Amino acid sequence: MTRKAIRSLGVGMTTLALVALIAPAVGHAQQPKFESLPDWSGIWQMQGGTVFDAATMTPKGVGTGTPNAREFPPYTPEFEKLYLENIKKVADGTFPDPVNTCGTPHGWPRAVNLPDVYEFVVRPEQTWILGENGPAIVRIYTDGRKHPDAEELWPTYTGDSVGHWEGDTLVFDTVSSKGWLVDKDVIVDRTGLILSEQLHTVTRIKKIDDMTLELQMTLDDPKALKAPWTITKRYRKAPAGTRAYDYGCAENNRNPIAPSGKTLTLGPDGKPIDKDTN
Amino acid sequence: MTRTKLFTFAAIIVAGTFSVGAPLLAHHSAAMFDPSKSTEVTGTVKELQWTNPHIWIQVNVDKAGAAGTKEEWSFEGGSPNSLSRSGWKKTSFVPGQKVTIRFNPMRDGTHAGQFVAAKFEDGTTLGRWQ
Repeated sequence: MTRKAIRSLGVGMTTLALVALIAPAVGHAQQPKFESLPDWSGIWQMQGGTVFDAATMTPKGVGTGTPNAREFPPYTPEFEKLYLENIKKVADGTFPDPVNTCGTPHGWPRAVNLPDVYEFVVRPEQTWILGENGPAIVRIYTDGRKHPDAEELWPTYTGDSVGHWEGDTLVFDTVSSKGWLVDKDVIVDRTGLILSEQLHTVTRIKKIDDMTLELQMTLDDPKALKAPWTITKRYRKAPAGTRAYDYGCAENNRNPIAPSGKTLTLGPDGKPIDKDTN
Repeated sequence: MTRTKLFTFAAIIVAGTFSVGAPLLAHHSAAMFDPSKSTEVTGTVKELQWTNPHIWIQVNVDKAGAAGTKEEWSFEGGSPNSLSRSGWKKTSFVPGQKVTIRFNPMRDGTHAGQFVAAKFEDGTTLGRWQ
C-alpha cells in the first residue's frame, strides 16, 4: 500500500467516525414537490469580495491578497500555526493558490466564496450551485438520501452534501471534503485560510428579499477549530438577461506557479518575464 | 440588457467584488504588482487577448531615448466573463489604436502591469480613469 493510500485510509477512518456522529441529523426529509420550491433563477454575484469571514477580518475592508490580512476563526493551535505560515507566504508572494493549476475544483467551502457569478438550480431531488469561476459545482441531494456509508466515502474537493427544505430555506449538511492537509490543494480564501478533512458544515440558504440570497454556514472541524464558527455570505441578483459563460482557466493562463510557490508572469511568447523566476 | 441596467450591474460588481481597493484580478496572487503605484505609458495596441482566466492587452511602446525602437508591454485585466458584464467588448482594444494605459507596475520593473484604466485618442476612457 502506498503512503498516499495509507493516508487516504486514515482520512476515511476519520470520515467514518464523523459520519457516524452526524448521520441522525440528515436524510430525514421527503423529496419536496416542485411547486413548493422557491424561485432562485437568474445570475447572482457574491457581495463583499472573497474574504470568507469579513466580520473578523483585519485590517478591515481589504482584499484577500493584501499582505498580512487575516481572519480570526477559532483555530486550534495547530491550525493557527499553519495559517500564520500561509500569511507569511502571502506577504512574500510564495503562497501558491491551487486555483492556478487550472483544473482541480475549488473545493468546499471555497465553492461558495468565489468571484464572477453563480447560478442556483433548484429541483425537487437536488439543488446545484454552479460557480462560473470553476470548476465549482456543488451538488446538494434533497431526495431524502443520507450521506454514503463511510466505506463508500473518500475525501473529495467538494465533499458530499445532503439536505432538505424548511419552507423556503435550503438546509444542507456537507462532509468528506479534502481540506488542506490531504494534498495541500484546497484553501478557503487567498489570505491562506484553510480547514481540515474533518470539516462538517451545516449551511442554510434563503432569499431575504427579491434581489438577495443569504447563506449562513456553521463549520465544525475538530482538527482545525476549537469551537463552531458561523459565517454569512450574500449574493446579489443580476439584471434579467445577464449570462454566465465558460471559464476555461487553461485557455491562456499566463500566471503559472514556480516550484518555490511564486506566481510567475508569462510574456506573449509564453516565457516568464519576471526578473527572478525562482 | 439596457445601457442603464448594464451599468447598474457593473456598479454592483464594483461595489461588491472589487471594492475598497481589492485587486481586480481574481485568479491568482497579485504579489507581482505594486498597487501603491500607478503609472502610465502611451503606445499602440498590438493585440487584445480576450481569454480566460484573464484578458491581456499587448501594447507597443516607444523605447525611452531610442526613437523608432519599440518595446512590447503586457497588461493584465479581469476575466472576459466579468468584463463583458461590465460593458467591455472583445473589440474594446483594436490593433493599431493609439492608447494610454494606466496600470499598477510589476515590482521588479518588468514591462508589464495590472490594468487600471485606458484613455483613447478621442478622449474616451475605460476602467478607473478618474
